[in-house]
Amino acid sequence: MKNFDLIKLPFSKENPILVQVLGVCSCLAVTAQLKPAVVMALSVTVVVVLANVIVSLLRNTIPPRIRIIVQLVVVSTLVVLVDQVLKAYVYDVSKQLSVFVGLIITNCIVMGRLEAFAMVQKPWASFLDGLGNGIGYSVILIVLGFVRELFGSGTLWGYPVMEKLGLYSIGYENNGLMIMPPMALILVGLIIWWHRSKNKDLCE
Amino acid sequence: MAKSFSNRYIFIYSAALVVVAALILTVVSVSLKPMQTKNQQAEAKQMILKTIGVEATRENADKLYAENITEDELCDKGYIYYSYKDGVIIPLHGTGLWGPIWGYLALDGNGTVVGAVFDHKGETPGLGGEIATDKFAQRFIGKKFSGQPIVLKKNADKDNYYEVDAISGGTMTSNGVTAMLEDAFERYGSLKALTIEKEEDEQ
Repeated sequence: MKNFDLIKLPFSKENPILVQVLGVCSCLAVTAQLKPAVVMALSVTVVVVLANVIVSLLRNTIPPRIRIIVQLVVVSTLVVLVDQVLKAYVYDVSKQLSVFVGLIITNCIVMGRLEAFAMVQKPWASFLDGLGNGIGYSVILIVLGFVRELFGSGTLWGYPVMEKLGLYSIGYENNGLMIMPPMALILVGLIIWWHRSKNKDLCE
Repeated sequence: MAKSFSNRYIFIYSAALVVVAALILTVVSVSLKPMQTKNQQAEAKQMILKTIGVEATRENADKLYAENITEDELCDKGYIYYSYKDGVIIPLHGTGLWGPIWGYLALDGNGTVVGAVFDHKGETPGLGGEIATDKFAQRFIGKKFSGQPIVLKKNADKDNYYEVDAISGGTMTSNGVTAMLEDAFERYGSLKALTIEKEEDEQ
């Protein structure tokens, strides 16, 4: 596989959420608003890239029998590091994300990429793969966060868009369903539908 | 992958890995601790100041706090509260859906809420986590912290002194806030600063 494909494919035909359907649970949970979605996207990208590189560097020394444990130790260490750094430097954001930073450890994208890619590929390729998947995850998260915050709360990044547009005065109401997790699932479903209609070869 | 590893190798490898990870985390945790603690303390002061309408940044929180808040005192039941020029500020502690929630209520001499602020450790962002927003806290202004505890409920009556609109999608957290307010009422409901004009409210 060419290096460029490693970054590009997770965007389109190998998107972790749309095609591999990994990492869906955090994508439902943190996308009620744009800001946590963006920070979560960044944190996951950082963790998946670093974990990919570290595991790839260690790959020849890792005994296959305990490889999952080794991967978990690497991922958890990174996640705790990210959490500590967020708490020290961007305290407010870290509070908004709260439990979800810790839950990056269990994000299937991270473990999935380590198992499927980093364990058998060189560090540079793993770096690109992690970056591609991180971005592929981020794009979906940000789209969801955008739509859900705009139509669910009438704001974007906390800015009252709908109010400024004067829509409330002509009878517009926020859609309460948007901020509920099931709506995120429905939106992901719609995106997957659109995505498959563009990429017919993905349909079974 | 075909390489085979001896048990001894596996044991040593895993032990070494864990020790290295622990070392890294210890170093980072110890070196970042002072900054984190500072953030937390400044944040508590910011929250207290916010209830009386003083917007403080993390940097000037110490100074503004010293200017606006007088000594913390203990009420007759042994719980701490703070005083400012028009009344008292009481701290709230409780549990939400996923972890601790807390906040402060600023009350004037009549026990009317003049400012509120809430926060949480791990409520769901966008749902229960909304208690940390100004929008939620403002619902408390004008409510009464005397006579009976304030409760959160759906479609609360805006003119009722003891009802506040709950958060849609955050029922468990809202219930936690109600329990926290009840708890606080038990602790501080008999504060001298509040009981003076209590009879007025019970008409």
